[in-house]
Amino acid sequence: MVDLEKMRTIAKETVSRDDVRYLIGWRQGTYGFRVSPHFMKGPEEAEKLIFSPLCSNNLATYLTLTEKLPVPRGEQPDSRKIAVMVKGCDSRAVVQQLIEKGIERERVFVIGCPCEGVLDLKKVEEKFPGILSPVEVEWSGDKIIFTLPDGVKEVPKGEVLAKKCLSCRYPNPVMSDITLWDEVKSLGDGNYEDVKEMEEKNPQEKWSFWKDKFSSCIRCYSCRNVCPMCYCEDCVLDRLNPQWINRSANISENSAFQLARAFHLAGRCIECGECERVCPVDIPLMALNRKLAKEVREQYEFEPGLDPESKPFQSSYRPNDKEDFIL
Amino acid sequence: MSEQFQPNVVAFLCNWCSYAGADLAGTSRIKYPHNLNVIRVMCSGRVNPLFVINAFQQGADGVLISGCHPGDCHYMEGNFYARRRFSLMNELLEYVGVEPGRFNMSWVSASEGAKWKDVVAGVVEKAKEAGPFDQFRRNKINW
Repeated sequence: MVDLEKMRTIAKETVSRDDVRYLIGWRQGTYGFRVSPHFMKGPEEAEKLIFSPLCSNNLATYLTLTEKLPVPRGEQPDSRKIAVMVKGCDSRAVVQQLIEKGIERERVFVIGCPCEGVLDLKKVEEKFPGILSPVEVEWSGDKIIFTLPDGVKEVPKGEVLAKKCLSCRYPNPVMSDITLWDEVKSLGDGNYEDVKEMEEKNPQEKWSFWKDKFSSCIRCYSCRNVCPMCYCEDCVLDRLNPQWINRSANISENSAFQLARAFHLAGRCIECGECERVCPVDIPLMALNRKLAKEVREQYEFEPGLDPESKPFQSSYRPNDKEDFIL
Repeated sequence: MSEQFQPNVVAFLCNWCSYAGADLAGTSRIKYPHNLNVIRVMCSGRVNPLFVINAFQQGADGVLISGCHPGDCHYMEGNFYARRRFSLMNELLEYVGVEPGRFNMSWVSASEGAKWKDVVAGVVEKAKEAGPFDQFRRNKINW
């Protein structure tokens, strides 16, 4: 069960430690169902912390976004830890960053929050439109309880939970320094029914589906910016020489961008679904990511973000990898 | 169309095996289709998936990547990485609706001039069957 008091107490203790720089958690957003990341620098800010079904943000993204300012001569760089609150999926992002040596284990303090599934804001806002004042939402068994301005409403989980949560296999953090409350049962078995359905179509049907989706892309790069695995300092999409992908938003460049983005996450995507959540034109990006995750899992028995000691998928090989596609 | 469609196939050949194999096919006077545009790379592991996407954007109807047989790589393990990478690339391209015959990968060693001929004939045949690639080709802008 979620215990906010315990969460705030531990947050206070953590942020008061000498070796912790700040803590990243969640807080109430500016309106309605919105939730913002909360960067907590002192114990007095702990009261703002929340954890509810609305906390869908993956805070692991912020670990690699920390600005590294030049250090004045004679001074040592700030080597204190960053404490971060993670759900099950977010913890896999942290592990994957550790595998890739994107962050160091000594620089991060992980506070695990076992999670019973987060909401899909699009579904919620469709159900309760036009709500601007902050709302409280809680888990309660198979239901989600909404405390709205006009009364308390109960909604079954299946109707409002995000798609990725309905088939989630890792609701509990796979790695954490402290786990805040008891572990929860996983909701699904991580099947790939939607991917299999897509695979069975013929090339023309597949392309007409994806052409429609890709041509609506406005190339805002939100999906890249929010992705906890997209943290290259020199991104191939920003590079001008060589410029692999032009900046014009047409079907050719959009397809190239989408394929490149998906492929850069092959064997790395931890399926937190953030890209799809932030996409302003609703491209089913997770369908691409999940296709690659399915191949990696079924053909190579590999899953990213589970063991910090393992090697990244694409920089390792086995001599007997499958090669039935080779002429 | 009275004339048969002649596809444009881009081939990335590894310097040590496939390029030498293609050379052997040439010096042995083996005839094979002329639709190939060969790009020599030092290893099949050098080929970035973006090269493939870019080739399709710039007018390729088919792409062939060819390297040493597994275990024969001049750099010990380059083709093992390439195999993993392009197996996924192949799946991804098929998933978005690129016809299965357009993307190909093969192992051709320096002594396999005859195999090289068969591989090229197969790849060109498949590209011909699939027809001109226009799914995400870059439009030429006439300024």
